Amino acid sequence: MLKTLKKYKAPYLFILPFFILFFVFQLIPTLWTFYISLTNWKGIGSPEFCGLGNYQKMMIDNMFWESLGNTVIYWGTGLVLILCYALLIACLLNSRFLKSNRARAFFKTATFLPNVCAAIAMGLIFRMLFDENVGLINEVISMAGGSKVPWLTSTTFSKIPVIILNIWRYTPWFTMILLSGLLNISRDYYEAATVDGAGSLQQFWYITLPSLKNILFFCSVTLTVDMWKLFNESYILPGPGTSNSSLFQYMYESGFNVFNMGYASAIGVVLILILMVISVIQFLVRRNQGEL
Amino acid sequence: MMKKKIALALAAMMAASSLAACGGGGGTTETAATKAADQGSGQEAPAKEGGQEAPDTVYPAGTLTVYAMGNPQYRQQYFETWLENHRDIAPDVKIEFVQTEGTADIREKITMTALSGATEDLPDAAMLDPVTIMDLAKAGLLKDETEYLAPLLDKMVDGATTDATIDGKIYALPDSVRPQVLFYNKDIFDEYGIDPETMSTMEGYIEAGRQLKEKSGGEVYLSYIDPTSKTWRYWGRRGLMPSAGAKIWDDNGEVVIGSDEGTKKALGALDTMNKEGLMMKTTIMEPALYDAINNQKVATFLIGAFWDEFMRQNCEATKGQWRVMPAPAFEGVDKAGAPVSQFMGIVEKGDNPYSELFRMMWYDFTFDIEAKEVWVNSMEEQNAPYSNPVSKEMLEDPFWKEPSEFYGGMSFREMEGKCLENGAENMAVTPQDAEADEIISAELEKYVAGNQSMEDAIANMDKNLKAKIGKAEVAQ
Repeated sequence: MLKTLKKYKAPYLFILPFFILFFVFQLIPTLWTFYISLTNWKGIGSPEFCGLGNYQKMMIDNMFWESLGNTVIYWGTGLVLILCYALLIACLLNSRFLKSNRARAFFKTATFLPNVCAAIAMGLIFRMLFDENVGLINEVISMAGGSKVPWLTSTTFSKIPVIILNIWRYTPWFTMILLSGLLNISRDYYEAATVDGAGSLQQFWYITLPSLKNILFFCSVTLTVDMWKLFNESYILPGPGTSNSSLFQYMYESGFNVFNMGYASAIGVVLILILMVISVIQFLVRRNQGEL
Repeated sequence: MMKKKIALALAAMMAASSLAACGGGGGTTETAATKAADQGSGQEAPAKEGGQEAPDTVYPAGTLTVYAMGNPQYRQQYFETWLENHRDIAPDVKIEFVQTEGTADIREKITMTALSGATEDLPDAAMLDPVTIMDLAKAGLLKDETEYLAPLLDKMVDGATTDATIDGKIYALPDSVRPQVLFYNKDIFDEYGIDPETMSTMEGYIEAGRQLKEKSGGEVYLSYIDPTSKTWRYWGRRGLMPSAGAKIWDDNGEVVIGSDEGTKKALGALDTMNKEGLMMKTTIMEPALYDAINNQKVATFLIGAFWDEFMRQNCEATKGQWRVMPAPAFEGVDKAGAPVSQFMGIVEKGDNPYSELFRMMWYDFTFDIEAKEVWVNSMEEQNAPYSNPVSKEMLEDPFWKEPSEFYGGMSFREMEGKCLENGAENMAVTPQDAEADEIISAELEKYVAGNQSMEDAIANMDKNLKAKIGKAEVAQ
């Protein structure tokens, strides 16, 4: 070990700053969070050790389970819809129908715009759009002869605006990543496939998708982490009770609204464990496929 | 070899620079210098009895920081004027009211700052509610004001310091004690021939709603119901629950909300109004509700007196139509709504050079009749918030009985004072209140969303409170 360290001094020194920061700002706080999760602590005064009390409380807390369920929904819908839309838009941006470079540049910029807008500002605009009484969406529905939908005040509909905002905000980023992947696929494959008589759909299925495998895997991992850390969208578009809360939001509210730091830390630990399990499963699947 | 050396030097530089960045040492010199300057003049003067006399201290240059909520910029105007008039003792002192989202935000900021050890960054004072006072006082972050306030207690309205008293010690200076009142649109009641006096009881209030609905063909609502946590805050904890003598905990801190008759009475009344379609379902303090008020679609608001400032600012079209009366009483309890108290706490931050200065400002704001009247007039002109004073003497002044244009010549200020007279007792304050509120509100919100009946909501509140909190620390 020491020998290796001596041999590769320079590379180890180069990565040292990262590890110092990781140690100070990530590892120590994570261990501290785990310790706090075993205590009753209101943020001030001394933490009182309570063993696994906070974890037991979590098991019977329906708000925790509801938030966990919501997060799974945001994750599932996000993973499927965001990646599908991103792939579709990336393919359109890369298609030969967009002949002019100017048009391509314009559509690329327009596509990326939602990603640079502040999440809270967009959330407020969505809140106005989906307002039951004066929102534009309900006005359109009313004009079409429908009745007003309680978008944000009913547990049935309240997650829809959050999911839409999510898709709208995250799709551009993944579109750009997938577009860069598409640009790296050699045109030769498509030309050869065309000569062999393959249609557009077959080309997409047998050339585009397999070529994007690694990028799609990267996107799914980062998107998974993003969706489990979802906060702004559900915070600014709340539904009745915890019907829209994400687990990350519930953790924040337990910590900073209710000042139950021990309980919030326990939720944090569970969140870390869930993310670790999901990531490990994703990597194992890829390894079994011989891709890693 | 040369390359290797350069690489090593670069890596060492990167490591050193990242460590330096982590250290955050840049501010140390400045802080120390500021501290030295602060210590140079003005030892904190001993608290004078009642704070009436100005101490012979010249306060050090700097900024007195106050965390507050609502629209604290208006309060700052008063304190800035005070400082301008007292440059002999505070020649270079500025005051800054920092706008926060609410008391939870204030508590979070103070807690996190104290936890980080940066006590010099703590505010000098903060606007607080009873639960926050309880937590901060327990953590030793608030100054004990018992000795200072003792000679002033008789000069203030009843119960002014009750919610800031913990184990016999007072931990904050009273800022306001505001009652629950019933705002009603007289023009609407006149149009449909309904006598507002029927609303002196809860049964009469609901009956007035039924008549309004019937006579207006469903066009006019008795009031509003909010799909968010504000229903519990305004209709529940501060409104119907204390009026009905409801309890969340018994005297031993055990959860009783599920079997409590007062709760059934309070939330039952809300359920009746909601089920019978007497309430407009909309978020309070949002344009949709203001539009409805301006279009005479909402006839009453049973809410804290603070609602006055929102009405004045947003419902200009109904100026002169509104009147105020005491909140309706439940049969058998015969109490109006419970008052809501707000306090100013002086933060215990070791060497706080401005503690005494802030007490002097608070004293002036609370007891200086002339200065307060000038400020209130200015607030009226700006449509800005102000509340009735806690000083009994000030309340006796004719100024506080002057008619208000917005209320058709009725004196809102005088009515606010009168509405305190038969106030119900507030619900017991416990350190578990923030968590309990979250649990109760979640169930109430699901009720408003139509996901469960009120009976189920109350049963779930009881079940979840027992599961998550168990027993509350109720002060005996």
